[in-house]
Amino acid sequence: MALQIINAGPPAEDIAEQIRSAIGESMPEAAIEVRPQGPGHFEITVTDSGFEGLSRVKQQQRVYGAITELMAGPNAPVHAIDRLECRVP
Amino acid sequence: MGLDEAVHQEITELIGSNEVVLFMKGDRQQPQCGFSATVVGILDGLLGHYHTVDVLSAPQIRDGIKAFSSWPTIPQLYVKGDFVGGCDIIQEMFGSGELYEALGVEPVEVVQPKIGVSPAAAEALQQAAAQHGGDGRELHLAVDATFQSHLSIAPRTPADVEAVTEGVVLLLDPISASRADGISIDVSETPNGQAFKVDNPNAPQVQSLSVAELKALLDSGEVIELLDVRTPEERAIAAIPGAVLLNEQEAARIEAMPRDTRLVLHCHHGGRSQQAAEQFIALGFSQVFNVIGGIDAWSQEIDPDVPRY
Repeated sequence: MALQIINAGPPAEDIAEQIRSAIGESMPEAAIEVRPQGPGHFEITVTDSGFEGLSRVKQQQRVYGAITELMAGPNAPVHAIDRLECRVP
Repeated sequence: MGLDEAVHQEITELIGSNEVVLFMKGDRQQPQCGFSATVVGILDGLLGHYHTVDVLSAPQIRDGIKAFSSWPTIPQLYVKGDFVGGCDIIQEMFGSGELYEALGVEPVEVVQPKIGVSPAAAEALQQAAAQHGGDGRELHLAVDATFQSHLSIAPRTPADVEAVTEGVVLLLDPISASRADGISIDVSETPNGQAFKVDNPNAPQVQSLSVAELKALLDSGEVIELLDVRTPEERAIAAIPGAVLLNEQEAARIEAMPRDTRLVLHCHHGGRSQQAAEQFIALGFSQVFNVIGGIDAWSQEIDPDVPRY
């Protein structure tokens, strides 16, 4: 009987780095904090002057837009963002 | 896995050709997730008609709308082509009063409901509040579009209406408040223990219409929706002038109408139409009539030229 190996997938810190990188590409001046919260779950805080004057929805769309690929499909490395905070410096 | 051109086009058309579109799991009659159900509950109370897209039946849209909106979750509400938000945001906007303006509707008139609570129910409610409440979480009473009541413990929102009775404080959202006037809450014993029993005099019932009253209504020239719930074969034998066969197309047309539209249903003897009438009540319609005796009574009492069968 063969033993099944279930691959754990990339470590949370690697995925967190991918998130930081993706947001950083779309918002180069931003200060970005990504905190893993269990498999596939993350909390994000982004501080950027570009958020000034935008509604909360539009601020969040900026960030989600940058990580759409990381959240797409059934095997997405990012399963959910438990908390997204958008701040103005 | 970017956004496919065809899906982009499909979504653009959906939000361009419908003023209010909710991308959700399930549909308006049967939401398939709690968050979608919550948004449907709010929209049902404010709008007669809005378009929904079931992403569970359209996987390309399920992924596509997330890329299109730069938003990772479902449900998603679009108004006049603009993304408004998901469940949390819709609830916040409803609570703050912003949602009325976003939808272009008049704010729900705030009714201060009179709610009766029996001493036994008061005690049970106080206990529930003491056990599960605290930390800003209070007793809420919600009455949905089918006049079913739901008790819960949740944080107070700015738009909540307060009803105080027998020392119990109940919070209701404005839509529930308008449906809750005259409600009475008691407790009763069930095999599973104590349960709350809610009696709501506002819950619409199917009303009866005699064939004589139907004739008078038709003669008055008033525009009514007279629906024949029989089969096309039966209709070929005998029909009441002005009645429309309730097929899928007609049902969809009716379901898009304001919930106070007067609906009159008939069948052969009045049995099937009673059932159909109850289904429309369950959809939230409040002026639903069943023709007693059906077309058989019509033949006998109003127009003998209509064949009996």
